[in-house]
Amino acid sequence: MQLLWQILVNGVLLGGLYALMALGLVLVWGVLNIVNLAHGALIMLGAYACYYLFTGLGWDPFAALPVAMVLLFCLGYVIQRYVLNLIIRAPMFNTLLITFGFEVVITYLAQIAFSADFRTINPSYAGANFSFLGATVPLVRLLAFAVALALTLGLWLFLEHTRIGRAIRATAQNLIAARLYGVNPRHLYALTFGIGAALAGAAGTLYGVVSQINPYIGSGLTGKSFAIAIIGGLDKSIYVLAGGLFLGIVEAVTALYIGPTYTDVVSFGILVLVLIVRPTGLLGRTA
Amino acid sequence: MKFSTKLALAGVGIALLATVPWWGSAVLVQFGINALILATLAQSWNIIGGYTGYPSFGNSVFYGLGGYGVAIAMVQYGLPFPVGLAIGIGLAVGFAILLGLPVLRLRGHYFAIATLGLAEVMTAIVSNLEIAGRNVGLILPLVKGDVLFFELSLILLVVTTLAVMWISRSRFGFGLIAIRENEQAAAVMGVNTTLYKILAFALCSVFAAVAGGIHAYWITYLDPGSAFDVALNVKMIIMAVFGGPGTIFGPVLGAFVLSAISEILAAKVTSLASIFFGIVIVAAIVFMPRGFADLVRRFRQSGWRYFQENIRTYRV
Repeated sequence: MQLLWQILVNGVLLGGLYALMALGLVLVWGVLNIVNLAHGALIMLGAYACYYLFTGLGWDPFAALPVAMVLLFCLGYVIQRYVLNLIIRAPMFNTLLITFGFEVVITYLAQIAFSADFRTINPSYAGANFSFLGATVPLVRLLAFAVALALTLGLWLFLEHTRIGRAIRATAQNLIAARLYGVNPRHLYALTFGIGAALAGAAGTLYGVVSQINPYIGSGLTGKSFAIAIIGGLDKSIYVLAGGLFLGIVEAVTALYIGPTYTDVVSFGILVLVLIVRPTGLLGRTA
Repeated sequence: MKFSTKLALAGVGIALLATVPWWGSAVLVQFGINALILATLAQSWNIIGGYTGYPSFGNSVFYGLGGYGVAIAMVQYGLPFPVGLAIGIGLAVGFAILLGLPVLRLRGHYFAIATLGLAEVMTAIVSNLEIAGRNVGLILPLVKGDVLFFELSLILLVVTTLAVMWISRSRFGFGLIAIRENEQAAAVMGVNTTLYKILAFALCSVFAAVAGGIHAYWITYLDPGSAFDVALNVKMIIMAVFGGPGTIFGPVLGAFVLSAISEILAAKVTSLASIFFGIVIVAAIVFMPRGFADLVRRFRQSGWRYFQENIRTYRV
């Protein structure tokens, strides 16, 4: 029982981070109708940005987070504005494939630039932990969880209550009507993709703090983000949070009772099951 | 060009290719085997992705199952190669049907990504199977004879292409194209869409499995990582899309051209070839979204404006 409680705590802490990973993917998917297969590669870049700010300049990883977000925002804006905008109305398969192309380019450029070695980000407080109702809670994981939660909430507030946020939601609902109200879709699409990339950058920073990184982590993380998006549905960022927590707990329980090599198999099985039973997500509206 | 002329040209091309092992260097023959196997994979992907319009990102699973069929039969049971191939085909077809029943009900993004995770799942499962040598892999009996493998791969590619040619002019193939263009309309016209899609998936798994079996026996070594290689999915899709999905010779052409270029680049830096593939995907989708075959057909009319027109069609 003690063990199960510990596993649940681990799962929830991991799940918050998973939710942040999926958030950017869901935003881009919902607004631009692009499933960004390079999302995981952007997360990886965020992790390396943090790694180099930490080892090179000695910054605290959590202070590096906003910088990573700004860098990734710029990259995302440029990718959407100058490349993806050119094909945004092409058939779904083409948009899927082109982001796949970006994934490959980013991954292997990263391999040349950063080498294929595993890296870790170890701030002085990396080993610190405390006890919570009998379960051990590592400090960095809790901090990562809190930041993930704060960013999820922040995105929700941004979309609900700011002018740009409203324009993004309007575009997602009806492009032509949004244009009539003076929205410039080229700029707005780029902005949305940039925000998605910035969220990936934030997720990458946190991922780098709690786990090892190398240039190839991207595709696996895209898969996880996608699974969360499907479980939670595309409607609200709060649902993404639920999807992330769900997957985090399922993975932790699987690792304990079936075996750590099977976590991907189980989460993929759930993904396929959900796709078949409720393609709009467990919590999403029925189409 | 008349169809008979095309056929004669193809015949001459195949005959010329068949002689390569007799005059080509060892390096050329080995490159040839790889290119032929990749062309077969691109062509088999063409059946489900190009003709049926279901872009599978998981076909390397069939390739891996074919390889494991051969490896398990030969190493664990001492059976001959053809029996191993048959087992590999059986595994792949069985898997295609079992998987196809639920997954082929999905459309668009959902289908693509449901298949995208397959390779990693299979890697995880096979790494835990004693009979498949876990994550260490299996070592197959050594056969010297690049010539044999070259001719086998060539025959396989020709058979796969003939199958695609048959699809493009048969009732079955018209059914698949109808599904690609409008699935509901196809169902209304009396096409048994579920059956057709699963048959197409199973058919493409057969060729991919044989390719995997031949490759495993040639390399004489198989482990989960290389058998279910995700990068292989990328390559076969890019080659088919670059050449022209839903055409008979497009995928083969795409496979030969891209293999040759990446071979030259990989000779310098290995990761350069991968970056090149990525850039080709991005550029091809922006400038020639309907493939090389369409470019050749339409470039004569529109010239350089062809690229502009493509961009104008799909931009914001």
